[in-house]
Amino acid sequence: MRLHVLHKTHYTYPSPVRDSFNELRLQPLSNDWQRCESCFVSVLPTTPLGQYLDLNGNLVHHFEIPEDHSKLIIESRSITTTSKRVDFESFPYGVQMKNLREVGGNPECRDYLQKSHFVSIDPETWREAVEIQGHSKDVFQTAYQIMEHVYLNFEYCASTTSVDTDTLEVLKNRRGVCQDFAHVVIALCRCLGIPARYVSGYFYDSTRNRTMRGAEASHAWLEVFIDGYGWIGLDPTNNCVVRENYVIIGAGRDYRDVAPVTGTYFGRLPESMDISVSVKRMDE
Amino acid sequence: MPLNRFSSYETDGFFDEMFGLGDGSEPLDHYHRLVSRIAKLDGERMEAKQRQAASSFLEHGITFTVYGDDKGSERIFPFDLIPRVIPLTEWQLVEQGLSQRIIALNLFLNDVYHGAKIIKDGIIPREVVESSPHFRREMIGFDVPRDIYIHICGSDLIRDENGKYLVLEDNARCPSGVSYLLENRQIMKKAFPLTYRDMSVRPVEAYPELLLKTLEFLSPRQSGKPVCVLLTPGVYNSAYFEHTYLARQMGIEIVEGRDLITTDGFVYMRTTHGLVQVDVIYRRMDDEFLDPTFFNKDSLLGVSGLMDSYLRGNVSLANGIGTGVSDDKVTYAYVPEMIRYYLDQEPILDQVPTYLCWKEEDCKFVLENLPDLVVKPANESGGYGMLVGSASTQKQRMEFAQRIRASPRDYIAQPIVALSRHPTFCEGRIEGRHVDLRPFILYGEDVEIVPGGLTRVALEKGSLVVNSSQGGGSKDTWVLKD
Repeated sequence: MRLHVLHKTHYTYPSPVRDSFNELRLQPLSNDWQRCESCFVSVLPTTPLGQYLDLNGNLVHHFEIPEDHSKLIIESRSITTTSKRVDFESFPYGVQMKNLREVGGNPECRDYLQKSHFVSIDPETWREAVEIQGHSKDVFQTAYQIMEHVYLNFEYCASTTSVDTDTLEVLKNRRGVCQDFAHVVIALCRCLGIPARYVSGYFYDSTRNRTMRGAEASHAWLEVFIDGYGWIGLDPTNNCVVRENYVIIGAGRDYRDVAPVTGTYFGRLPESMDISVSVKRMDE
Repeated sequence: MPLNRFSSYETDGFFDEMFGLGDGSEPLDHYHRLVSRIAKLDGERMEAKQRQAASSFLEHGITFTVYGDDKGSERIFPFDLIPRVIPLTEWQLVEQGLSQRIIALNLFLNDVYHGAKIIKDGIIPREVVESSPHFRREMIGFDVPRDIYIHICGSDLIRDENGKYLVLEDNARCPSGVSYLLENRQIMKKAFPLTYRDMSVRPVEAYPELLLKTLEFLSPRQSGKPVCVLLTPGVYNSAYFEHTYLARQMGIEIVEGRDLITTDGFVYMRTTHGLVQVDVIYRRMDDEFLDPTFFNKDSLLGVSGLMDSYLRGNVSLANGIGTGVSDDKVTYAYVPEMIRYYLDQEPILDQVPTYLCWKEEDCKFVLENLPDLVVKPANESGGYGMLVGSASTQKQRMEFAQRIRASPRDYIAQPIVALSRHPTFCEGRIEGRHVDLRPFILYGEDVEIVPGGLTRVALEKGSLVVNSSQGGGSKDTWVLKD
């Protein structure tokens, strides 16, 4: 699929702010399944843009606006070609839970087995994870069950959580948005020793009646590591295995590693923040 | 094949759109189907089709006016029946390169009218920007609607002797030619219906709709349907046909200055039902003529008070005021630097190396190498007032050298690029003629480019000047779906 993503973020401040430093993670990455053909990130007020690769291998744009400004506009336009990630005829079954200990030594997985800023590993979470696992001995099967559990038992509703909500709170209140759903599944997987990482990106809603949740917005899901298959994407918000209609910006331990826009400035809180995302398919 | 109209075709060592770097015996893959169709047409049928096309142009009134010609005549824009074909992957690269460019140009305009960081950081010299005749001090500090200055851009692309696409110039004021693109397509669909269908060509018909969407996006009144109008200088303008055509296609009113009045900072259109408030003006005249109280006092074309309404945010203009500083040919030389500065990327499309006569060392080089260069005025359009060194006389060169010395800021020079050629129907034979490509880029909610663009062809043998005012013609441009 060839997908065009337009992601606009507009902040307006009630009085001029200054000394704004920001980092943006808005450019889709290129890997075995997707190729970012072009990505233009533009910032107003105008400022020279810089970029670097962070520790997770994600591309970060950064800029600073020292002078007074009362609005900040960040736009990213990208075109990404994606290919089929998972063979739906044969899911990556066959890796046993008891072999997970070997994976723990894999440096690629180490970070994704620990607790992190938003992801808590504690007895409560572990108990729920073990319950969901039941008799399953297969890694992919277990991860899938966890995703399904969260999809079925957690309420999807906006504005009940914030960007700072961690898994303890979500597990208690049983509701949230895609970010919270992903965090909870990650926590449950990590408790059982399944390496799981947080992924930010977008998806194109290819269902007939546009029934997927979280479309036309920044989306988040997770990936679990299956030995011999690599990282497999699961979207607990929509209860599905990630396929070619998903565009990945980047992956990390949790939201904090891949937040689309982060930064600091001197001044009052924004009066308004408008975010709009449109994902269009270009090869139909 | 019983008859092959290409059997005696010569590429003469130029890059040929149809035959690539080859000798003219084997067409490139994406041209195969077209070549086998045209090769089979005998001269009579080809001429019949050509006549048909010419008469449709006349019937549809698709003409333009040539300036500096005593006859003051309207002409048909000569049309060539052999379309240019662009494969999808090649087009995608062009499309991305142009998107990158229009984004950077808009950031540049935002910057020069809001603090000019790019000047302070030493990327572009202050004198280049401020000496541009199209730099509008009045715009400093003004926030244009939606922060977009250039909504409609026509960039000219050429291909060099290896087939590499190069940007030759950007037209960020009032680019014209899109009506020919749309009409050419209508005519080609009639002339080669089956070939057109079989080759699965990407359609261009959405342009008027996209343009209207772009204009409506700018409206200061977001409730209800915005009132957009097209402001034309009038029937004597060379692109008047295009103005009427686009207005009709978009279903909006075409107005002259006298049809608009301003009251209390709002712009109204006189209609048979009384005054109607106007939200967006697609203006097809240069800044200087828009408002006699603000710019050129002698202009009879404009609307008094228009700038006042614009600066109060009550009416939007497309393109914005002051965009000319970005398509100044001296500024052009700095576009790659702009892309690096604002987007931290390398330019996707290269451009032609440019010598700036206001720089002493460049000027010296230009004066010493006039026969090998093309000299262009920095702020003219339509191919007027340029010198192609290789095709000039000693006297012309002397004259130009004098002009350059007198006002170096007004001239730039570029090496003569051996433009690619395309087989073209010339007096019963098919011969190679030089071509360029002008795609039209729209920037509203998002950047949109209709596939392809207007392919202009220099009909005179050996000529490198494709401008319609200088004896150029056009072709349809087919971007394939796969």
